[in-house]
Amino acid sequence: MEKEKLVLEIPYGTRDFLFQEAACKRDLETRLAATFRRWGYDEVVTPTIEYLDNLTLGSSHALEPHMIKLFDRANRTLALRHEMTTPIARLAASRLKDEPLPLKVSYISNVFRYEQTQTGRQCEFYQAGVELMGSTTAAADAEVIALAIRCLLEAGLQDFTICLGQVEFVNGLMAQYGLTAAEQAELQEALEQRNLVALEALVDGLDISASGKAALKRLPLLNGGAELLQSAYAMALNEQSRRALDNLSEIYRLLEAYGVAQYVRFDLGIIRDLSYYTGMVFEGYTAGLGYPLVGGGRYDRLLSDFGNACPATGFALGIERLMLALSSAGCPAPQADKGVYLGYAPGQTAQAIARAAELRAAGQSVEVALQAQSETEAQASQTAKGYAELVYLA
Amino acid sequence: MQPTEDYLTVALPKGKLFGLAADLFAQIGYTAEGLSDKSRKLIISNDAKRIRFIVAKTADVPTYVEYGAADLGVIGKDVLVESRKDVYELLDLGFGKCHVMMAVPRTQKRARLADYAHTRVATKFPHIAEQFFSQYGMQMEYIKMNGSIELGPIVGLSESIVDIVETGTTLRENNLEEIAYIMDATARLIANRVSFKLKFDRINTMVQDLRQVLAAQANA
Repeated sequence: MEKEKLVLEIPYGTRDFLFQEAACKRDLETRLAATFRRWGYDEVVTPTIEYLDNLTLGSSHALEPHMIKLFDRANRTLALRHEMTTPIARLAASRLKDEPLPLKVSYISNVFRYEQTQTGRQCEFYQAGVELMGSTTAAADAEVIALAIRCLLEAGLQDFTICLGQVEFVNGLMAQYGLTAAEQAELQEALEQRNLVALEALVDGLDISASGKAALKRLPLLNGGAELLQSAYAMALNEQSRRALDNLSEIYRLLEAYGVAQYVRFDLGIIRDLSYYTGMVFEGYTAGLGYPLVGGGRYDRLLSDFGNACPATGFALGIERLMLALSSAGCPAPQADKGVYLGYAPGQTAQAIARAAELRAAGQSVEVALQAQSETEAQASQTAKGYAELVYLA
Repeated sequence: MQPTEDYLTVALPKGKLFGLAADLFAQIGYTAEGLSDKSRKLIISNDAKRIRFIVAKTADVPTYVEYGAADLGVIGKDVLVESRKDVYELLDLGFGKCHVMMAVPRTQKRARLADYAHTRVATKFPHIAEQFFSQYGMQMEYIKMNGSIELGPIVGLSESIVDIVETGTTLRENNLEEIAYIMDATARLIANRVSFKLKFDRINTMVQDLRQVLAAQANA
């Protein structure tokens, strides 16, 4: 019987990055790492696998069904990290517990989620981000947003929009109309599912004033520039929602000082997991990519789930999505560096090695032939491998 | 094809929703010459109005919209729920009314729903069906079909079907009887989550215009 042809597959939702893509990714990550460093964020590297119990502590368990799990030798359940915020919260509550606050941490790493693959997101994908822990100030939120914008600019993206919201505005509005906990949960679910039809039906079924119904239905439509914030004050009738708007105004003033306010729009209907975020939330979009590039916000409860009550804010940026956005925006991709092919005649090996060392010291990338070649052979090798230049030692 | 900054791209499903959706857009001033689901051209633009229609296969509409290949789409709620796509559901357009239900051969009716546990269900909507049966703790064997679902029980492929019904005529003609209601469905306007933010003003204006037309129709 004929031997079956060997097909070397890789697992669902994973990918190989070959030379050009790997060079792009490396270049991008280098820029992001440098930006994080310049803003005073120290990098951490955490294990790829953690105990499932740690990753699902408290409020961040919604992704539990999407985590890739395995067992250790003692049969404890492990999971591949599904994001980096939770591992960093664990660090902050353990080894970093006695560090002076505020604590500024950055990461660039792969994360894993078992879900249907989509544009720029496989089951294994790469994120870069920061967490700023130990401050409740608007200054901390503004810094995180300004840094996210700076990262996109450093990556070479020009055309993008950051939408900024505040979950306490939504919560305050629901409280001001006296919604029960169950009603609030239903409304939140409709908002999180982006189902405005269900939202409208739910609101119509509530026993509240007509103006209250109108206000709640308007929630997802509160999208606009600085003027939107002023008009939203008219809707905010209680302390909670007014404070949320004050907080956004202050963040916005600081973003003006950072010189990045032109990238920012308000979107008070922006909804990112309301059980997790506790303050400002933001997402970044670019035309031509159907998914957000970057997202983040304030999450003051997560760290207390680890027994270390501490406010925190941060963002995560999708590396592959940013790579896609850059390529569709026509940004030139960094070329794999192919400088010099160095061939040599018999007896010239030592000279070739010495010459390569000189060229490399001068910053050239050099491939040295592994055996003596004729000049014609060396030329053929240079062409086949795509080197810009041939140096031949006769 | 990437949606360009200043065009709105709308995916319309071929079939019975197409004409109704095209009429509705025409009433708010958005139409395009030769817009028909019989058209050989799959993309029909109106450059003056900065709008572009994609003529898509029904089940593909949520996909176009989720990926952002279309900013907006018109799709039945049944197909939308089944697709499990992450999109904005902006508006109930009211037409294409039907409901999803479970039906069995009239002669083989069992006393309770639970009596059908572990039997075979032929359906175009395995996700909706699974969600429904799991509420009752029922495990079923789902047989995914793409059309003529009613044939399932007749030819012995399955014990029941989960399908959409408008008038019930097809069920009666095939000696099937509805035994469980699952959900109502009408056509919905959906939007890509990024388009809804980046093209918010245009999309919101369109939604408000559509609301007016729908309200006028409801009062007529």
